[in-house]
Amino acid sequence: MELFRALAALAEPPAPEHARLVELLDLPGAAPPDGVDYSEIFLFQLYPYASVYLGEEGKLGGEARDLVAGFWRALHREPPAEPDHLAALLGLYADLGEREQAERDEARRQLWRNSRQALLWEHLLTWLAPYLDKLEQIGSSFYRAWGRLLAASLLAEAENLGPPARVPLQIRRISRFPDIEVDGLAAFLDGVLAPRRSGMILVRADLRRAADGIDAALRIGERRSALETLLAQDPAATFRWLEAEAHEAASRHRAWRPRLGLVADFWVGQAEAAAAELARSSPGATVSG
Amino acid sequence: MDTKEGIDLKGLNQRVSAARAAVEARGETFYPGPSRIHLASFPPKERWDDWVELDSRSWPKRVEKRSMLVPTTCFNCESACGLLAYVDRETLEIRKFEGNPEHPGSRGRNCAKGPATLNQVTDPDRILHPLKRVGPRGGGKWEPVAWDQALDDIARRIRRAIQEGRPNEVMYHVGRPGEDGYTERVLAAWGVDGHNSHTNVCSSGARAGYHFWMGLDRPSPDHAHAEVILLVSSHLESGHYFNPHAQRVIEGKHRGAKLIVLDTRLSNTATHADYWLSPRPGSEAAILLSFARYLIEHRAYDREFVRRWWNWREYMQEVHPDRPPSFEDFEHVLASLYAEYTFDFAAGEAGVDAAMLAEVAEVIARSGSRLSTHTWRSAAAGNLGGWQVARTLFLLNALTGAVATEGGTYPNAWNKFVPRPIYVPPHPKSWNELTWPIEYPLALNELSFLLPQFLKDGRGKLAVYFTRVYNPVWTNPDGFSWIEVLTNENYVGLHVALTPIWSETSFFADYILPMGLGSERHDLHSYEQYDGQWIGFRQPVLRAARERLGTHVGDSREVNPGEVWEENEFWIELSWRVDPDGSLGIRRYFESRERPGEKLGVEEYYRYIFENSVPGLVEQAQAEGLTPLEFMRRYGAFEVRKQVGALHEDVVPEAEREDLAVDELGRAYSRSPAPANPNLVPIPPLDPDHSGRRRIGVEVDGEIRRGFPTLSGRLEFYSRVLAEWGWKEFAIPTYIRSHVHPSNLGEDEMVLLSTFRLPVQIHTRGGNSKWLDEIAHTNPLWIHPVDARRMGVETGGLLRVETEIGHFVVKAWVTEGIRPGVVACSHHMGRWKLTDQGQRQIMATVSLDHQGEQWGLQRKQGVRPFPSIDRDTLRIWWTDVGVHQNLTFPVHPDPISGQHCWHQAVRVRRAAAGDRPGDIAVDTAKAREVYRKWLGLTRPADRHSPDSTRRPYWLLRPLRPSRDAYRLEPSGAPGGAR
Repeated sequence: MELFRALAALAEPPAPEHARLVELLDLPGAAPPDGVDYSEIFLFQLYPYASVYLGEEGKLGGEARDLVAGFWRALHREPPAEPDHLAALLGLYADLGEREQAERDEARRQLWRNSRQALLWEHLLTWLAPYLDKLEQIGSSFYRAWGRLLAASLLAEAENLGPPARVPLQIRRISRFPDIEVDGLAAFLDGVLAPRRSGMILVRADLRRAADGIDAALRIGERRSALETLLAQDPAATFRWLEAEAHEAASRHRAWRPRLGLVADFWVGQAEAAAAELARSSPGATVSG
Repeated sequence: MDTKEGIDLKGLNQRVSAARAAVEARGETFYPGPSRIHLASFPPKERWDDWVELDSRSWPKRVEKRSMLVPTTCFNCESACGLLAYVDRETLEIRKFEGNPEHPGSRGRNCAKGPATLNQVTDPDRILHPLKRVGPRGGGKWEPVAWDQALDDIARRIRRAIQEGRPNEVMYHVGRPGEDGYTERVLAAWGVDGHNSHTNVCSSGARAGYHFWMGLDRPSPDHAHAEVILLVSSHLESGHYFNPHAQRVIEGKHRGAKLIVLDTRLSNTATHADYWLSPRPGSEAAILLSFARYLIEHRAYDREFVRRWWNWREYMQEVHPDRPPSFEDFEHVLASLYAEYTFDFAAGEAGVDAAMLAEVAEVIARSGSRLSTHTWRSAAAGNLGGWQVARTLFLLNALTGAVATEGGTYPNAWNKFVPRPIYVPPHPKSWNELTWPIEYPLALNELSFLLPQFLKDGRGKLAVYFTRVYNPVWTNPDGFSWIEVLTNENYVGLHVALTPIWSETSFFADYILPMGLGSERHDLHSYEQYDGQWIGFRQPVLRAARERLGTHVGDSREVNPGEVWEENEFWIELSWRVDPDGSLGIRRYFESRERPGEKLGVEEYYRYIFENSVPGLVEQAQAEGLTPLEFMRRYGAFEVRKQVGALHEDVVPEAEREDLAVDELGRAYSRSPAPANPNLVPIPPLDPDHSGRRRIGVEVDGEIRRGFPTLSGRLEFYSRVLAEWGWKEFAIPTYIRSHVHPSNLGEDEMVLLSTFRLPVQIHTRGGNSKWLDEIAHTNPLWIHPVDARRMGVETGGLLRVETEIGHFVVKAWVTEGIRPGVVACSHHMGRWKLTDQGQRQIMATVSLDHQGEQWGLQRKQGVRPFPSIDRDTLRIWWTDVGVHQNLTFPVHPDPISGQHCWHQAVRVRRAAAGDRPGDIAVDTAKAREVYRKWLGLTRPADRHSPDSTRRPYWLLRPLRPSRDAYRLEPSGAPGGAR
């Protein structure tokens, strides 16, 4: 279980101790991360909090974080200030594993195991699949290597523990992708940028790619404003780009189906629904039927 | 998310685990901090010698700042939380204070007062050099004086008093000591009974209630593991061990514990409560007894615990000798004793809803043995008979069996460790009538706040009077009487103020000697804050920092600002000057053992303790390649033991049972010598049996167990001491109607609550912190809208509050956070100075006028910006610093506990024309009348002592004289030197 703590530590701001961890984990081709790399990934692109990816709003906090905090409380633990931070969750996962190993009573050991399985499927795998996928696309060489090792470790755990009996609570409910005509532009922008609702993670680097792709100017600032500016410049092209992005996301999500089953189904479903809605409501679309 | 084939996850796991084990075996931190993985947000300890941070002021440039992290202990309140001083490696100045993660009590967390130590260190108004008064005492003129000159003068006077048989003329008056017994031992070495603590204006009411139950005067609640937490007071923001307890109360709540708060005010704590009861002041014991009655009537108490551990048999023998002493019979009596405390009765006394009481009682009944309870000041310090609040509160623990259980309440000695020092001088042979007067044989602590009255009575005088980081003129009731005696050299020959800062008391000193703050002095502490035992080490951090760099420091004045000293070294030096040739037998307690004939140094003093008296420390230090002293200098704290558990249940080993004898009460005695114990935590002495055997425990169901340090060896539901010393009617937990009970109030009188704190202030000790002063600098009067409407006053309007001896003028704060009929004013404010000397950021400049016994204090100038070495003093935006209400309070000593009963019956009206905020008027002749009235409530030892002694020997006493001194002379006078 110590492996998970080590991986968790590397999701924290770089410190001298990281060099030791990098060496121990034998991260291929990786150098100790520097502050710039860390900031680029965790502060500007891929915020390492479950609530950002599982929450209806795509932001920190809210019901998704409450669910994570409730999980800590159910274990009779005081939720930390940021209960859904990746490092905190991996630390907790390691701790539960050690409790299980140390438990002599078979029934209680099974309870620890159940808790660990719940944490893995509810609050880790439900968002880390698209998260680590995106990291693979935009990360530095070091963090890509770290992400691959984390993915391998989590998938090995998923195999070892088996799938959950029910769809994880965090993804049991389907989230509706907004209809720009009915819900308005503001709600549309929120929906596109909320991974849970669009089925895709759009980071700043993606929007830069979008601007390049449709030959539009990218407004520097928060993602919402940047996307709004793209839509203002060329709505049809932006819709087409978003639709293609959703299809691409759905395609990537499908690849995890053999190992993540229900979780993959959720993300595929969300991305396909978003793609369909984007196609339907695109300014250039023909109204059928 | 792709999988990577061929990764040896198991191998990696093992490799990381092995590396972690190897690193931690060296005492280093494997994972970096701050980190969320273990909730560790602290620099790894192996980097404490050279911690690098980026300088925020240099942003966006990346400028590194390097610090040494040196632990010490906060000196503001009594919680003894751990601090980490960040000492700049280039300038060797302290840059900031944060929490010490290695401290078991505070666990790296601090309240605002800890980091604010930095303000105190850099305060432009702090006293940096010894001062001697010029002109009349209180005249406000000072000249610098050399330490040598001051020490010689003070030592000469002490030596003369001792040589001339006047040891009681030497007195040391202390606020919160912030250490465990060092100064008591200094006084014991001098042979003077001169210890005078502030405790009777603080906690002795609560202490008495606890002491009569279990022989120990403090509770140690395990809030973190409780099912139900019951607090009488505002513990979350201002309770006794505020920060260590508050964090555990919140932990308990997170685990699902119910929080019940009895507090007349809507305190911050009350806002966190599941059940907030706002009782009429003084009715708390009635409420608690209604809960007890419910538990008894519904058989919702732990019968086995009560049967095994209460002294019910003794109670039945003494009070119901005609009845068979069976437990069932006792239960029958118990039920009848409390039958009158119905919810309706309690509701009538307290003015709260009876249905709410019933609901809360049911919650308590469900707590099982996980009921943590605490009271310290508040009701226990406010009311006549307030000590019964603690006694009735602990009754709930004693009924539920929640005594020394996980989630219950422990006796403090179970959770405290006081290591044996290099010397333990014998008990002094004298008895000081000025602090332990004959009228108060059961007082838990010195009658410190009556000192002016006793001096005026002619009961004695003082040749040398030390006030040590204590401010009686401001803190105590009846401050003008203090000024009257302090300015009279017939009463006080020499007043020495040992203080880091100016205070209302230091203005009336002959010498002001600058003593170190929390980062400038050595001390050793231990406090009961959870089920464990720890010691915390305060140290001059610049000394420790320099020593890390290889510099030898001979005396803390070499590294402290100005000529600021530390008390440890001061007392050693002073003692040598009191007894320069050793002829008084004093010097030997301050001599080096390593270098016979030379002065003991603090290095040797603490080295001895850490190497010889702290179990496990030597081994722990060795594991990290350190000496024990180096370990303590490096980490600042050490956990001696955790999960101590129910020590009273420990079976006395066979080796201690030589010639075992068990008496009719089950008390077990033997001739085996007491096993060596390095823990000097105060425990009452227990008399041997008639054959001289030592008490070893108590027989419970045929087994000899350690029991409690009480006369019976059990929890004392029935206090033989109270019964035999004249207070038979209060020998069991009961309800005493307060002096502010509605039946004692005039029709137009209200109750004034004056005991509550502001979360960021701590009496006058934090007054030189700009951050704290900016947050809290005034104390308006809480008044309910109903009362405010009746008086036609709004928030900010002026009110005149009339007490028995005078009045004060205060601004109103209209709030529903207080009951109708009750007003409240925090005691933290109203600081004043007579001249420009003083704490300019928190003290108003006032005029102090008196004609005979008529005193008046009026504000001449509020606080305002001023230029200084700290540019922030030009940014001071507040002018109002509140009112010094304590000046208008007469003394109210409880006749049993000796606690000053703070609550006041007052008349509140709109201010008169010409009244200004902060105005005070007092008649000290009236104050004297009130003193005499309360003195009349006492039952003095010469009339009530059952054994011709001055005080029960069993009762705890901070500095215990020899047993001979306890004897009463035939005339009624104490037997020791007067």
